[in-house]
Amino acid sequence: MIPRLAIYVAGIAGFFIAPHYLAEYHLFQICLIAATALVVLGLVAVTGLAGQISLAQSAFVGLGGYGSAILATSWGVPLWASIPLTAFAVAFAGFVLGQLTLRISGHYLALATMAFTAIVQLAFIHSDPVTGGAAGMPVPPFRIFGLTLTTGRHLYYVILPATALLFLLVQNVMQSRFGRALTAIRQSETAAEAMGLNVLRYKAMAFAGSGFLGAVGGGLLASLSTYLDPAQFGITQSVYFLAVAVVGGMSSPFGAIIGSAMFILIPDLLQSFQSYLGLVFALLLLGFIVLRPNGLASVRLSRYLNLLSPRPAGGRR
Amino acid sequence: MTDALLHVDNITVRFGGIVALDKVSLDVGRGSIQAVIGPNGAGKSTMLNVITGLYAVDGGAVSFEGERIDGRAPHTIGRLGIARTFQNTELFGEMSAIENVMVGLDRHHPYNLAIGMSHGPGYRRSEIAARREAGDLLALVGVADDAAVAAAALPFGKQRRLELARALATRPKLLLLDEPAAGLRAAEIESLNLILLNLRAEQGLTILLIDHVMALVMAISDRISVLNFGRKIAEGNPDTVRKSPEVIRAYLGEKGAHALGA
Repeated sequence: MIPRLAIYVAGIAGFFIAPHYLAEYHLFQICLIAATALVVLGLVAVTGLAGQISLAQSAFVGLGGYGSAILATSWGVPLWASIPLTAFAVAFAGFVLGQLTLRISGHYLALATMAFTAIVQLAFIHSDPVTGGAAGMPVPPFRIFGLTLTTGRHLYYVILPATALLFLLVQNVMQSRFGRALTAIRQSETAAEAMGLNVLRYKAMAFAGSGFLGAVGGGLLASLSTYLDPAQFGITQSVYFLAVAVVGGMSSPFGAIIGSAMFILIPDLLQSFQSYLGLVFALLLLGFIVLRPNGLASVRLSRYLNLLSPRPAGGRR
Repeated sequence: MTDALLHVDNITVRFGGIVALDKVSLDVGRGSIQAVIGPNGAGKSTMLNVITGLYAVDGGAVSFEGERIDGRAPHTIGRLGIARTFQNTELFGEMSAIENVMVGLDRHHPYNLAIGMSHGPGYRRSEIAARREAGDLLALVGVADDAAVAAAALPFGKQRRLELARALATRPKLLLLDEPAAGLRAAEIESLNLILLNLRAEQGLTILLIDHVMALVMAISDRISVLNFGRKIAEGNPDTVRKSPEVIRAYLGEKGAHALGA
């Protein structure tokens, strides 16, 4: 109990102290990591937990970004409301996409979700009147309580609490009967069905969750970058998110944070290697798949991170 | 037979040109222990997979407590009160033994998704109740000491028993066992027999089992049905079946049957 409480207190204190010591650029990076981690958290839920390979994540991110920006531009809904609204709609789209898992799994599911991403990207490009077509569209500034948040320093106070809250919720779900059901389904669908679990519903719910998280992450990323370019939401980007999840670790929400931090900070550290960055990431990914299939979160450090996660209730053994 | 818990009526199952089950009927009475035996490929596992909804029938009907269940989704059949174990065990390998059992119990200790997300009111109570009941079931089958061990890390005999505990966790009325004694040592079979007889005596559980192991089948079954090449060739109490010339011929062949003087 005490160490966990201490970590929470230190986290909250760090949250308020950091802006006083860090430059705008670093705060922007932190926001970027947090928002990316949300997107990847969606993959942890659908692929890591429920075992369904999804390449639809960048489509969810795009839908989240465009949806909230369009609601804000054309309908005057402020971003703080349009992001969650869009996220619920995208969650529903994810649920519908999840129905695919009734008939297909494994590689075929990966291909089908990839097709979904391609279709969504084409829709962005060909809906000029609302999305600005191939040229993209600007994202209106994030306004809340009469304040206009434009810089990383400002958005920090929105993105980090939102990310922390959603991580807590996902962590809780994983430690509940729903997390158990999804873990069971990942390991044996036949046995899970025999136990009376509605496997299709659970898998569709996992897709809905990944859609929700992807869309919230997409909305936040959009307000950070202030511009939406349809080229950002293709299949390559889906593969990128999957790579982040693999390097970070699929089995734990913290994997999403660690992976995102790696993939955002490494290009900074290796600026002189800019042209070989693709190679560095490729080697990193291969290395992890071969040597540490459970990702960075499975390295010993995870023991300390796990102090954050609540013990199963009543579990004394 | 109106008092039958499970009523399999004239079912036929074909896989391409092969007739796996050919107009087979079976009644399982409430509180009875019934066995289905037969040589390899006789259609025994097909029968279980039909009852649990994994295979569709090409003819005939299956009813449970008077309700048609053939054609229903496996999870809805599970929810009606039919639980099963699998021939090669289908445990959730990475999960601990107790969590395996809790998966089956969770339906009986429910809370909604909002509570699951927030760990709000009722979460703790449900989790503790499910964990306690799971612990009791593990104790019943003798794996209580391994509650925290990953299912895949357990020795085979314990995996079998864990699977039994997991099936019981759904609180079934009918328990289907697919070769529960295969690969078990004589002493393990003895203790399995005791567990199954106790379940029937104390909880009135109805059991339908499939096995080759006569030490189990002959010791605990009230009734035995014999399948061969998808057809039912004999049925009755263990003694009748043991002496049936048809059964001896199916197991030993014409020559063997002749040698025994059947």
